[in-house]
Amino acid sequence: MLRMQGISKSFGSVHANRSIDLEVAPGRIVGLLGENGSGKTTLMNILFGIVPPDAGTIVFKGHPLVGHSPREAIAAGIGMIHQHFMLVPAMTVTENVMLGWEATGRWLRPAGVAQQISSASSAYGLGLDPAARVELLPLGAQQRVEIVKAVLRGAELLVLDEPTSSLSPPEVAGLLRILRRLREEGRSVIFISHKLGEVLEVCDEVVVLRDGGVAGRVEAATVDRHELARMMVGREVNAPLDRIARAPGAERLVVANLTACDALEIERVRGLSFSVRAGEVLALVGVDGNGQAELARVIVGIERPTGGAVFVDGAEVTAGGVAARRAAGLAHVPADRATTGLVTDMTIAENLALRAFDEPPLRRGPWLDPDAMTELARERIADFAIRAPGPATVVRTLSGGNQQKIVLARELGSRPAVLVAEQPTRGLDPGATRFVIDQVIALRGAGSAVLYITTELEEALLVADRIGVMHQGRLVGLLRREHVDLGRLGLMMAGALEEPSDPAALYGVPTP
Amino acid sequence: MRPLLAVLLALALTALLIVAAGKNPLLAYAALGRGALGSWDRVGVGLNKATPYVLTGVGVALCFRARVINIGAEGQIALGGLAATWIALTFPQAPPVVLPLLALAAGALTGAGWAALAAAIRLHRGVHEVLVTLLLNFVGVLIVSEALQGSLGEPGAGFPQSPLLPRASWLPRVLKGSDLHAGIVIAVIVVVLAHVLLWRMPFGFRLRVLGASTPAAVYAGISPPRALLGVMSLAGALAGLAGAVEVLGVHYRLIDGFSHGFGFNAVAIALLGALNPITVLPAGLFFGFLETGALAMQRAVGVPTPLVAVIQGLTMIFILSAMGLSARRSKV
Repeated sequence: MLRMQGISKSFGSVHANRSIDLEVAPGRIVGLLGENGSGKTTLMNILFGIVPPDAGTIVFKGHPLVGHSPREAIAAGIGMIHQHFMLVPAMTVTENVMLGWEATGRWLRPAGVAQQISSASSAYGLGLDPAARVELLPLGAQQRVEIVKAVLRGAELLVLDEPTSSLSPPEVAGLLRILRRLREEGRSVIFISHKLGEVLEVCDEVVVLRDGGVAGRVEAATVDRHELARMMVGREVNAPLDRIARAPGAERLVVANLTACDALEIERVRGLSFSVRAGEVLALVGVDGNGQAELARVIVGIERPTGGAVFVDGAEVTAGGVAARRAAGLAHVPADRATTGLVTDMTIAENLALRAFDEPPLRRGPWLDPDAMTELARERIADFAIRAPGPATVVRTLSGGNQQKIVLARELGSRPAVLVAEQPTRGLDPGATRFVIDQVIALRGAGSAVLYITTELEEALLVADRIGVMHQGRLVGLLRREHVDLGRLGLMMAGALEEPSDPAALYGVPTP
Repeated sequence: MRPLLAVLLALALTALLIVAAGKNPLLAYAALGRGALGSWDRVGVGLNKATPYVLTGVGVALCFRARVINIGAEGQIALGGLAATWIALTFPQAPPVVLPLLALAAGALTGAGWAALAAAIRLHRGVHEVLVTLLLNFVGVLIVSEALQGSLGEPGAGFPQSPLLPRASWLPRVLKGSDLHAGIVIAVIVVVLAHVLLWRMPFGFRLRVLGASTPAAVYAGISPPRALLGVMSLAGALAGLAGAVEVLGVHYRLIDGFSHGFGFNAVAIALLGALNPITVLPAGLFFGFLETGALAMQRAVGVPTPLVAVIQGLTMIFILSAMGLSARRSKV
């Protein structure tokens, strides 16, 4: 159905794609797997006509595609579903499907389109109401709107870019079901992801990209995760550090009946209570947007809670700001590395000083001490194996993994009492992910308390002693790791199940 | 290197306009050069002209560093000049060294107060600082006019200006045989202090982080409102100081509209100096010498002075385009 041959593309001195061949047969789901920056997105942008290739040919259904625009790609039968949906939130499903669709003709015929949406919806099990306003739909349903848009436009090849990154486990399962249904009809799918599990579950064949080239091409049935990870990274990925069993220590972080609002004053955290002990990792899992971000912001002092209290090592810090919480021993790895955790236009030394520049030893009297900053940077670069030319290197020039190492070096380097880590592995390749997890586990071993917020269940199972599930601003379950049942946890994340927390996991939960 | 190229391109383009006006551009530029740098006297005049530009430009540069768009220098200069004038006229018997210092301090404080008012409106009423500072310019300039029409005006002068200030309040000359006054020394000291503040002190670090990313600043424990108030007040103080220097060093009296155009030139100079105090100095000197040279050029060749504004404008456009270009390149 699709044959891309010898596709090459350079941006300046960066070779985003080097002579890539990709073939997709009818009725096949092909996984495109690779770390960030391995060339997946560039390749798909070339296919869809967003950027022209420097060299190579594309043949789709027997016709060459040369110098085509996205519009022509759609007309030819290629449907692209971006990671960030291209929908108008204030419009209905029908209106979004009609938008820019020439087949609707001179006159808008919403009733006919709605009819088509309904029949497609029942054929593929999409569960869409054509009259629903898109902004009121959950993310999973919005994604299905994108799918129906592409299918009704006659897409025979669907490209999904990181389609599961904001879905809960049941929603992911639903999506995979839909993709299999499309495959049965003879349509093909290119499934772009860095999540090995999903790729193995749904794909017929996996193409692994690394450094802009094809690192391997395998039948999904013949490989395992370990093998795929090795192909992605190009070397062995070590098993995580062994966790030392530890007797729970004193409570270092206590959150009591906390409530918080977002910027629009909508309550997003609704009476949360939990505690984290010394030498313990508590993972909070949940689908993005269930109050995790707001919870982290009030715990670290960026925003004030609307109710409740936060204690670090027994001392109440609720009234203090960021500086006071830092002084109390609270470290924070924010979710947004590029604009919050780092100032990417500044140097490594300055970024390592970002939260401590106004205290000794980095400040001496009224002066900043550049020598002390450089000295600190040298130490941290060595301790955390940051791959960079030196302390004066501008952070923007580093890879995502090395950037995150700078954040970790700054926040973990001072041996904090409590670490709040938000999505610390987001966008990182398996090697860098493992590094982050090892660092967190090492910190746990040193007696810190870690609150680890993540959307990835597997990751939570790897790092956590206890796992709490957040849904719509509340804790709908709190389990010891040994007692976790993945299926039930997934249902809890989707809000379909709430159960009394595991008594063994409930120690230290303050009563309001 | 880039700024120099931009200046040369601007001069070349302006040469075409001079040709179009029927004059010889080489003669015109020679006259401009002589007028700007031809004698110690001319150099002194150019430096005097540049002094308020440098002072104000440094303040604006610090604001822009923190992404605070302060375009209120003009009003701050006007009120700084007013405060200096009032001190000089009210305490004429004060000792000669104390009086100018007192007047300069009053100018700086008033400028800071005026800028702080803008910051307060920004913080408490949420009106964008561009709007607040712009509008307060008109208010500031009109307050000066009002004062000159009333109690501070010179009776019977026929023009809204204050009486001549007492000699004791004048800034001392620093170069024999020229009009060069001590203001340039103040400007150079301010440049050095601002450089140290921006690159070697916590306040400067705060400004730089805030300018790069507000979420990162909040995460770092920096209070954006406090930084905004601080940097606006500082810039206002420098603009007010510039107004006082202009009054005490050049005119020896307050003249209606003396601050006209300074505020916007300061923005141009801050950008030309790449928002770096040290490089704001040559940028301010460039503007100062260009203006004194322009008057000479007009006298000698008959090229109209507005062409200098054209050179300034073209230079700005070329420099900003070059900077935009380099920003885009570094993104890839």
